[in-house]
Amino acid sequence: MAFPRFAILFLFLLFFLSQSIGKEEEFSEELLLKPLPDRKVLAHFHFQSRVPPTETHGPHHRLFPKAIYQLVHKFHIREMELSFTQGRWNYERWGGNDPISSNNAKPPGVELWAVFDVPQDQVDASWKNLTHTLSGLFCASINFLESSTTYSAPDWGFRQFAGNLRYGTLPREAVCTENLTPWLKLLPCRDKAGLSVLMDRPSIYRGYYHSQRLHLTSTEFDSTGLNMGIVLEQTLTVVLQPNNPGNSMTYSSDSTLPQSWSLSSLFGRKVGGKCVLAKSSNIFVQLEGDLVSELNSRKKENERDDTDNLDFEGSWSNFGFELSVSPDSVINEINSVHKGGPSVMYKFLVENYSDSKPFDLGLMWKIPVAWSCPQAPLQDNRFLMGSGNERGAIAISLKPIKQSEGFQTPDINNRDKCSFHVNVFQVVPWYVKVYYHTLQIFVDGKPQSVPDVVTKMRVSPSEDKVSPGVMELALKLPCGIMSAALTLDFDKGFLHIDEYPPDANQGFDIPSAVVSFPDFRASVNFLEDASSNKSPLLVKMQERSPVLSYTEVLLVPLTTPDFSMPYNVITITCTVFALYFGSLLNVLRRRMGEEERLLKSKAAKKNEQFPVLLSKLYAKLRGRPWEPPQSSTSTSSSSSSSSLLSSKLLIKVVLVAAVAAGWQYYSR
Amino acid sequence: MSNESLAMYRSVRATTSRTSTNFASPIPPSTFMSLVCNVITNNLLGVFCIGSALIITSCPIYRVPNRARVTAAADVKILNFRPRFPMKFYLLFRKSFPCLPFLLKSIEIYRAPLPFRDIDSLSGSIESAPLAFPCQVNKFTGDDRLDDDEVVDEYLESALRGSEGCGYGGKVYTVVVVKRDEEVRAVVGKHRHAWIVGRVSEVDAVEKVAEIFIRVFVNGGKEGGVIPGEFMPVGADGKVVLSFNLLNADPDDWVYDWDFQKVDEILLTPVIEALGPVANISVESQVLYHTPKSSFSYWDGELESYIFSTKDLPFFVNSNEWHLDTSIAAGGRSKVLHVVVYVPSAKECPLLLQLPNGEISRTNSFISPMWGGVIVWNPPGCSTNSETMHLLGNKISHQDLEKVFEVFMGQLRQLFGLKSNNLYLGASGTFVLLASERGFTEWELDVLSRQHTCFNLLSCATTLGSLSRLVQSLPRMIIKDEIGKQVKFSLEAANLAQSNASLGIYEASAVSSRQARSLAEDAFFHPSIMSVSYYSFEHCFAVYSPFFLPVSLHVILAAVREWRRFKTEQKKYVAWKTKDGR
Repeated sequence: MAFPRFAILFLFLLFFLSQSIGKEEEFSEELLLKPLPDRKVLAHFHFQSRVPPTETHGPHHRLFPKAIYQLVHKFHIREMELSFTQGRWNYERWGGNDPISSNNAKPPGVELWAVFDVPQDQVDASWKNLTHTLSGLFCASINFLESSTTYSAPDWGFRQFAGNLRYGTLPREAVCTENLTPWLKLLPCRDKAGLSVLMDRPSIYRGYYHSQRLHLTSTEFDSTGLNMGIVLEQTLTVVLQPNNPGNSMTYSSDSTLPQSWSLSSLFGRKVGGKCVLAKSSNIFVQLEGDLVSELNSRKKENERDDTDNLDFEGSWSNFGFELSVSPDSVINEINSVHKGGPSVMYKFLVENYSDSKPFDLGLMWKIPVAWSCPQAPLQDNRFLMGSGNERGAIAISLKPIKQSEGFQTPDINNRDKCSFHVNVFQVVPWYVKVYYHTLQIFVDGKPQSVPDVVTKMRVSPSEDKVSPGVMELALKLPCGIMSAALTLDFDKGFLHIDEYPPDANQGFDIPSAVVSFPDFRASVNFLEDASSNKSPLLVKMQERSPVLSYTEVLLVPLTTPDFSMPYNVITITCTVFALYFGSLLNVLRRRMGEEERLLKSKAAKKNEQFPVLLSKLYAKLRGRPWEPPQSSTSTSSSSSSSSLLSSKLLIKVVLVAAVAAGWQYYSR
Repeated sequence: MSNESLAMYRSVRATTSRTSTNFASPIPPSTFMSLVCNVITNNLLGVFCIGSALIITSCPIYRVPNRARVTAAADVKILNFRPRFPMKFYLLFRKSFPCLPFLLKSIEIYRAPLPFRDIDSLSGSIESAPLAFPCQVNKFTGDDRLDDDEVVDEYLESALRGSEGCGYGGKVYTVVVVKRDEEVRAVVGKHRHAWIVGRVSEVDAVEKVAEIFIRVFVNGGKEGGVIPGEFMPVGADGKVVLSFNLLNADPDDWVYDWDFQKVDEILLTPVIEALGPVANISVESQVLYHTPKSSFSYWDGELESYIFSTKDLPFFVNSNEWHLDTSIAAGGRSKVLHVVVYVPSAKECPLLLQLPNGEISRTNSFISPMWGGVIVWNPPGCSTNSETMHLLGNKISHQDLEKVFEVFMGQLRQLFGLKSNNLYLGASGTFVLLASERGFTEWELDVLSRQHTCFNLLSCATTLGSLSRLVQSLPRMIIKDEIGKQVKFSLEAANLAQSNASLGIYEASAVSSRQARSLAEDAFFHPSIMSVSYYSFEHCFAVYSPFFLPVSLHVILAAVREWRRFKTEQKKYVAWKTKDGR
């Protein structure tokens, strides 16, 4: 009914866009701000550069970054995405079924995938060169993705119709300003003007989630005609906690009142006009459909009290909240598929502001509201089972979130026949040896036979020190399930001592698995008045991208050797050898006869030897010169004196030992 | 344990055993066993010491035999190498000049000003010249058209082309002397010719000819020697990337764009083709914004413009804000030359550069050797009224672009070490140098390619020299076979380049010199060297000390005991001897 008509309209729009995208380079900058249910704020910067194809436009550019153009041409890239992420996207609270989350929620660390337009046998070489170039370009250790143990070639599990795709992640890569600066260098205005001025480093790195992304689509090498040139899309997604001290004090007891914020309180800066090179420069504030309907219902309840929406001093007031700057236009969502109702966008044109009149948007809540974000059909979690350093199991559990139970409303009646697809793509490093035959699937807690649930499966087992294990699974699950889980057993492998990274005792990361829902599409359509001049961000949100989510990164502790062991072995063998050598030497060196004679001669004096020594020591202790005992006096007296001496000494030694023991005891 | 103490101990032991055998008296009957013990201990000690020394020296591992020696030898050989490029000169005398005696005389004159060339080959080639030229003299009849330099140049080129190709890669340099009744003019053409016209005496003519040959054709019109201290801005792989950058200092004032496509196609392509034999040049461009310079200029009321003085020039390039990145397209060894066209912001708009002598630079630009050049381009009308200017969509006009390009050509010539103006002031007068529309004349290109060969060989020699010094200074370094091979091939290529150069085949010589340089650098930057140069002796010590320390303790103890015993025995023996003697 409405949908095909819209599809035609959309196609027409796309066609129109592709025609109207002139022969000129374009750059646009946009910022989307969205209050999140847990009192945080999402800020999503979206920069898009577009260059017409080389055939018509030549290799020299005005706005498009030279480095990216050369990268595309050198490695024949058809599509590429690189993301640097810190923190984990909270799918439960921040949503999982809207374009922002399914495009910009990324696994922690670095994720890189690229599709190349080269013959099959050259793809790996291109990938390796690309990783090195990117690591130089972005000051990151992306070059570790060069080794064939770290990247994989998914067939259909990660993206559909993936040709020469390579995919690799570095879960432990730290992300910092040194990665942001080269990313900003690709923008014509860098962070000198325009919206990127807001990127105050301390503020954006203080956030709960930080993901900087670079997406590249090129049709330069497309043989099929439709040559759109290169599109470079750079996004920075941050989730920030607004801290407005005055506000939080007043309403500290009322936890449901969302936090009020302004651009200067979020970022510590204001926007002083647009980047002069940008074709469009907009700021959007999006309110979720759920929030809008909540506000509307609340408004109906107390219609009488609050009807005066006064416009004073440029601010714009609503029943539930107040915007410090009046929006240039309000855009409503059309064809909403979510149960909450259509969401609303407030659009602000930055070009109306300048350094003398900076743009500082503030949002002030008046009434406490609670709402939720649109959720993905199932929420996925991945965890480890088992204990010990020998074996374990990976489990992925899929559960619907309670609030979004009505996600498959149309088929709720014929529950038996209704089903939906879930794709799982998981890469496991070779030292975690997964036994794929142990795959077990539980639906609603009951074990199921694999062929009943799995429609398609592609497994490439890991090869030691050569390639990681890759699993692509297509599951078909009935609607309305309460839970689904799959488990895989694995053995932990042993690494050579050279292969351990520094700080091996921390454990080894298993990269995030990708769970996608091909039957669901995340797209939000906004009805905009001037369709010819559509904002790239809204166009991007309209694209029917598949809903996908990333699971947690797993930390597997492996048996780590005692790294000083080789040295210990050397030491102990050497000691044994040295002992053997020494005793052998002694035995060989001894002159038995001579020593026997010596012993015999000494045997006579033997008894006197010890007392003499003792008396010497005694004399020294007392500080008196030693008088040699008169041997002329009777031996009995000397022996008695010596025995006396020795008993005295013995008592002294025992006394000292007792004192030491006591000291030890009391000091504890 | 040191070796001296060992030796001493051994000698002492030897005397002891001798004494014990010769004077057998106070020693008990078990002498034989004692002797055996003694010998065994001694041998053990000896073996232990030799063994420990052996193990410690054998700890450094495998290396290619004699490679360092080879490198060192090669180093010496190449450093002794003086580049020797034989050239063929023709001297054409027109009207009543007796040829041969002057030629001989000219050779004598040559010897004095030659600072670095090998005279013999030069004079040899000149002596061979008279054989070729008489057949050409008759053809030269264009006396009446001598005023137009361009015409003469083309005429000479067409007339003399036939005489080339007889050797030395077809490169023959010709100087034509025409005696006419007019002011003396010396012109160096675009090809490999020069001519002197006018009332010129024989001695003057010869002097001028000599200067043209030596200073211009051989030396490229430069002062000083060719090789040491001078660098060619060409990468080790023979590639140069010309990176053009248009910098808009403040796009809030105005944004200028250029039609670089056209510049690339129309103006740059011939130059790149012309420089083909010397370097493989690629071009790229970008426009950058928000790129202020890092130092300040001052306002000069008289000139009504902002002045930037020479002493601040090092602070003009703002490496924090000017992201003139190294190119991804360029290979790792290519040389990137940056050409920056700087559009100043409105608050410093007519920006002029001041020369050290207080004058204003006519080109408004400067170069930084081996880095590139900066050209300041002031937008038209920025001084008069900035209000009328459009903010966006401005383009640098084509005339302005051509001007900028002319300045760039001068800069490029200077970067390559050539003169940027068309007059050469020699000792014997001034010479007019005709400029080629391609930027570089044929004889200049010859000079460049010779210089490039020399530079490559020199850098190859220094690289190999450093490598050999490194190898010699780290005796326990692993040297892989691959490095040895690279060194060998590099040496072979260098030798080939040298021999080709002395035969006069410049192109082949340039190619193999390039190869020699890149192979030498491959060897030097081989990844295995990097890791091995940090292999420490302490590591070796740590591994072996747990064995040698306790063992040496035993050995030393045994030795000390033996020594003590020897002492007592000796005492006893002496006592016995005195008693016996008495």
